[in-house]
Amino acid sequence: MLEITCNDRLGKKVRVKCNPDDTIGDLKKLIAAQTGTRYDKIVLKKWYTIYKDNIRLSDYEIHDGMNLEMYYQ
Amino acid sequence: MGKEKKHKRDKDLSSRRRSRSRSRSRSEEYKEKKRSKKNREKDRERKHRRRSSDREKSYHSDSSDVVEVPIIPDPPVISSSFRNEPTPSKTSKQRKKSLSPIPADGAGDVLSIEETNKLRAKLGLKPLEVGSSEVPQSSSSGSKKEEEKDKDGNSQELKKIKDDWGEFYHKPAGQFNEKTEVELLREKIQSKREKRKIEDKLARIKTLGESDSDDDANAWVDKSRKIEEEKKKAQLRAKMLQEMDENLDNVTTTHARRPARPQKSSQLSKDQGYGSKDLQGLKVAHDIDSFKEERQVILTLEDKDVLDEDGDTLMNVNMKDDERYKKNVEVKKQNPQHYGYDVYEDQYDEFGNFIGRGILSKYDEEIDGSKKPTFTIGESKDLIQEQQRKALEVKAKLENKRLETLNLDPLKIASDCFTEEELTKFKKPKKKVKKIRQKLKADDLLEIAGDSSSNKDLGSRKRKDDDELKKVVLNIDDLPELPEDTSNIKIEPEDDELEHILSKARRLKQKEIIKKELPVDNIKTEVKMETEDSEGEAEIRANNFITLNQTAEFCRTLGDIPTYGMAGNRDENTDMMDLEDEVEEQEPSMDKRGKWNTVDPNEEPKLAEGVPIVEPEDVAILDEEPDIGAGVANALKLAMSKGYLEKEETNRPSNSRFAHLQAQHYSIDDKAHGEDDKYGRRGGGGGGYNGPLSEFREKAGYKPNVKLEYIDDNNMKLTPKEAFRYLSHKFHGKGPGKNKIEKRLKKLEQEGLMKKMSSSDTPLNTLTMLQQKQKETQSPFIVLSGNKSSQSTMLGKNKR
Repeated sequence: MLEITCNDRLGKKVRVKCNPDDTIGDLKKLIAAQTGTRYDKIVLKKWYTIYKDNIRLSDYEIHDGMNLEMYYQ
Repeated sequence: MGKEKKHKRDKDLSSRRRSRSRSRSRSEEYKEKKRSKKNREKDRERKHRRRSSDREKSYHSDSSDVVEVPIIPDPPVISSSFRNEPTPSKTSKQRKKSLSPIPADGAGDVLSIEETNKLRAKLGLKPLEVGSSEVPQSSSSGSKKEEEKDKDGNSQELKKIKDDWGEFYHKPAGQFNEKTEVELLREKIQSKREKRKIEDKLARIKTLGESDSDDDANAWVDKSRKIEEEKKKAQLRAKMLQEMDENLDNVTTTHARRPARPQKSSQLSKDQGYGSKDLQGLKVAHDIDSFKEERQVILTLEDKDVLDEDGDTLMNVNMKDDERYKKNVEVKKQNPQHYGYDVYEDQYDEFGNFIGRGILSKYDEEIDGSKKPTFTIGESKDLIQEQQRKALEVKAKLENKRLETLNLDPLKIASDCFTEEELTKFKKPKKKVKKIRQKLKADDLLEIAGDSSSNKDLGSRKRKDDDELKKVVLNIDDLPELPEDTSNIKIEPEDDELEHILSKARRLKQKEIIKKELPVDNIKTEVKMETEDSEGEAEIRANNFITLNQTAEFCRTLGDIPTYGMAGNRDENTDMMDLEDEVEEQEPSMDKRGKWNTVDPNEEPKLAEGVPIVEPEDVAILDEEPDIGAGVANALKLAMSKGYLEKEETNRPSNSRFAHLQAQHYSIDDKAHGEDDKYGRRGGGGGGYNGPLSEFREKAGYKPNVKLEYIDDNNMKLTPKEAFRYLSHKFHGKGPGKNKIEKRLKKLEQEGLMKKMSSSDTPLNTLTMLQQKQKETQSPFIVLSGNKSSQSTMLGKNKR
């Protein structure tokens, strides 16, 4: 189980629990459930890499407690 | 730590408040105190909450590398968010109810595992893996420990790090010991399993000791007896065979020695000693040269296939190693970049003979196997050496070398007389029959012509009879004329030499006589002597009247004049002073150039009929110098010849201004043509205009000497700059300004004056005026005065 912090720097900061074999899409859905924004509008980024929906967290080497940047499409 | 700090901060705040309150009235102060008390109480509450929240944090954090701890203190928003945080621990249920997981503003943070699981179920995802939840439990205990530590006031193990995303702790490295222990155990188990497997395998196989069936003594005894019997039988058989062999040997009476077999030799060794006889016929696998004399080399039998039928070979291990080493060196010497067939690479053996090779001969050894030099002991070494010597001789013959033996003939007593043998060998050296190169002359050709067609009279030279001519030639030249039939006459070089010298002497005498007769002044002689003049000739030279003037000497230093004698009017055979050319009868005239020329002053001029041949001695190298004293004309001539005066041959730039001075017939072709053209046009188109009819011809050697000069209206020469200005004025139709014109005129005037000015006087001729004045006054001075009064004073001064 991981806990990831997602922050758009506009006032939404969410900590999401998820499995390492979840895809980014799943994570987005979880985030959407917490924040209330539609999941397909969320863009997750770390520096300049935009995470793609169909790839797992473990493949991106997203670990527990990592911060992801959240943007909106 | 952080908490302590917070404590201090609060205290500071309260103290500030107190300090502020001091300034106020006492009543107010009292109120303030009450407030501060309240504040303290609030603070305490806050602390409690924070502690609990901290617990939560640490609980969550420990499973991860990095633990996010929201910045706790001043900004109240975040602190409020803390309050909203639901705790997944035992207290979470109470919190959940009170605080909604997703607040209205969306700042809500965390859902508990159960909540997320519910959410996940809704989304169609599998529940969170709480298998790893053991770790958080353990970590929670760790966090408890930390709290205890905090209480103790010890420094925290976790380092707090501030970042853009908040403060977090670094998780300490996990305990590797436990992991390694587990792994070690696993490895142990694995290895034991494998061991067991191997043992099982081995257990099935019988060992050597077990396989022996003869456990009991009787069986063993039987076996050993059988073996003994077999051995005996074999010995008997061997004996039989040997006897048969010997019989066969006796019958066939072999003179050829069979290669000694080890078996046989071993038997022989029993009977007699193993001598050198026994070694005969053995092959040695080394070159015979590798065995040095008077050195012991121990040879051993070479390892060999058991079934090999060839005779035994002997070898020395050390020598074999040496050979291998040598071969390796050879291989190393080869250029690794040279492979393939090199056409141009020539190979020579040690005697320098060319070795023909096949294509890619370098691989021959690898394909065919290396040829090793061997020899058999039976063959005599002398024989081999003899063969080698013969081979060497053949090679030497092929190479045109002579082999010298070091065995010299026995010394003899030297004698002046020939022995009989020598006499038979002795021959008188043959005299060389001189081949006389016949110089082909025009006369000879004529003769041939005369022979073919009946004798004709052709010119003056022909008039001389052939015999006469021959004589003359013999006398004057050193050339003995070839007679018609050379077979009859034998010319001996000694005689020829003699004649040559005699003729020379004769000629010298003649010369002397003539010299006396001739007036020396008239003849300009250049007698160039050979450096190797004989003494007699030197004397003669001393007697001779040879005038050497400066010009002659100068010319001598210049060397030969290249054109001298080229015209063919000089006799080629005049080099009478040569003593060198005794053997070479006639030096070709090629040598003449670049050497001293000899001119025979006494030679009779050959006169052709009517045509005066210029005598060589009369043609001086320089023209006769005209006498300067005689007149101006002569002086001028001399000056001209010396180059003091220039002849006016050189082309001067054609200047239109001097056109009237030029020769009237002189015209540049092109120009004339152009003019013609013009006239033709003026004349009405007929005339000299032949435009398209005449082709344009390139004039080959035409190099006009053109000099562009510009002239202004006053016929003054212009510099290029001025010319440009003039042109541009004309082009623009706008002349220079008045001032410019005046300036230019002034300049011109001054230039004119400068030109007129005498070099010894001022432009106003003051000097001449001064001189005139001085003449008038007849005084060495002149009085400079502005007016008469001053003049008088000056006069007065003069008088004084």
